[in-house]
Amino acid sequence: MSSTSTEIQHVPKPYWNPYLSGIGLGLVLLLSYVIMGRGLGASGAFSTLVATGVSTIAPEHAKSNEFYSEYLADTTKSPLKDWLVFEVLGVLVGGFISGALAGRIKKTVEKGPRISVSGRLFFAFIGGTMMGIGAKLARGCTSGQALTGGAVLNVGSWAFMLAVFGGAYMIAYFFRRQWK
Amino acid sequence: MNAPFFKYGLFGDDVSLVVAFIIGIGFGFFLERGGFGNGRKLAAQFYFNDLTVFKVMFTAIITAMIGIYYLSVIGWMDLSLVYLNPTYIVPQTIGGLLLGFGFVIGGYCPGTSCVSAVTGKIDGMVYLLGIVVGIFIFGEIFPLVSNFYNSTPMGQITLSQLFNIPYGILVFAVVLMAIGGFAAAEWAEKKLGNKIVEP
Amino acid sequence: MKNIFLKLSMNKKLALLAFVLGLIAVFAGNPYRGNSVTMDTKELALIVDKTVDHVSAEELADWIIQGKSDFKLLDLRTEKEFNEYHISSAELVPLAELNEYPLLRNEKIVLYSEGGIHSAQAWMLLRAKGYKAVYMLFGGLEEWTDKILFPRIAQNATPGQTAAFEKIKEVSKFFGGSPQVGGTAEEVSAKKPMPKLEMPGGTSAPTAGKKKKKEGC
Repeated sequence: MSSTSTEIQHVPKPYWNPYLSGIGLGLVLLLSYVIMGRGLGASGAFSTLVATGVSTIAPEHAKSNEFYSEYLADTTKSPLKDWLVFEVLGVLVGGFISGALAGRIKKTVEKGPRISVSGRLFFAFIGGTMMGIGAKLARGCTSGQALTGGAVLNVGSWAFMLAVFGGAYMIAYFFRRQWK
Repeated sequence: MNAPFFKYGLFGDDVSLVVAFIIGIGFGFFLERGGFGNGRKLAAQFYFNDLTVFKVMFTAIITAMIGIYYLSVIGWMDLSLVYLNPTYIVPQTIGGLLLGFGFVIGGYCPGTSCVSAVTGKIDGMVYLLGIVVGIFIFGEIFPLVSNFYNSTPMGQITLSQLFNIPYGILVFAVVLMAIGGFAAAEWAEKKLGNKIVEP
Repeated sequence: MKNIFLKLSMNKKLALLAFVLGLIAVFAGNPYRGNSVTMDTKELALIVDKTVDHVSAEELADWIIQGKSDFKLLDLRTEKEFNEYHISSAELVPLAELNEYPLLRNEKIVLYSEGGIHSAQAWMLLRAKGYKAVYMLFGGLEEWTDKILFPRIAQNATPGQTAAFEKIKEVSKFFGGSPQVGGTAEEVSAKKPMPKLEMPGGTSAPTAGKKKKKEGC
């Protein structure tokens, strides 16, 4: 099933009832709206990271590029002092806590039985790259656009959500060897 | 009660970063609870084996939607102060398709890949790397795509405004659609089986 | 009835709850607030009584000189009057457009008009909408012209008055005004030309690297 593993915990616990996880997630989203007047997100933090990285290595290039400069514009403080960056740091911590409590921290590669580890990692990289480009075109990812925008009936978010499910189902057949 | 609190100036930027961190913890926690740190489980959605993605996403959406709606109706929350991502219908749809491809090929989305990486999955970490590279590529080719990127703007618009249907009725419609979807999902899982219950 | 409900699985109970909440939503109405407001008249009266509802011309001049950017200065007159002269960093918002004008809820808002009537009306409107930090410029532009742009001192001033006048002279020069010394009653009340708009404080709103925060994802 999975390749080499270094176990930290004992037997991993089963996942929660999806509806309860969903309600938990929904309440967190609601809290974000009530406290901050905005929803969640993920891809934006990575954009800030990339923009900061580029700006450190080639500041002039970053400033002249319309995309990067949008994430760097505030000159009064470090661009990393950004809401989404801190939120994503929290995601890492929260995911770790939940995983640790359930004994699900394990060095492993999730893949189907019919593909090799290197094949899987190759596709993971390609998939991530496509996701990066797609998320920027759409101004968000499933967390930011679909969940966050979906909850407030945002037109673009709902169109986006349909496109994501549509696109995924479209090519699922061609990649079934990776998973089944 | 005056919500959203931040917009009413109840606290400043620095505190908002702490808030972001705490909310992020909740976000990551529930993502992992539902098994979203596992790429196989996420991808299984698109083979009709395990429809957790649909169930969790839409439960979350209707929970937050109902909460926001009722808090606004009773006057505790000012809906006009809530941020709405501006709609650019064509690039967002194309971006969504691309994202869907990335989801199946890679097995994650940005948020879930964080959860996956932090619980030890190497494919999650590689995926994260891919996202960073993808964004970098986008940034570099931005001058070429910026016209497309900014095309077909519709402003900040809700479904209620677009179709001229009262907000409350849409809330009901979305709830019905979600419940119907859940029922269909339960049926499909029973038929096609193979849910991923634990790692 | 109750037994049927209890026998349902957890998932079905949740679905039923969602259904009921959704159904009520059909009748619950519009979540947006619209234009109706509620006012606490006693609170308003108290504020007026304590005179914490306005700032003096000297205070405002001080804020501008110090380069403070935590307040918004709104000019409620006509475009023609605005172009003739306006206090540096002011934004033009005719009273009719004030309701739709984008204002953050967590920043100070200072209003001024020619005298005090329009700024008082605008003050009432914003306070009714729930903005807490709203202030009128005491005496309006008339007072500003009098105290800051063209401050006067009589020939036989006391030492205390002279000292105060020296201080205000600097402030006045900052805004391009011209302090007046002595003079007869007619000279003093003659209409003087307003200073040109190229002010050291700048005519545009202070930005100083403060960009509007992104809220996307």
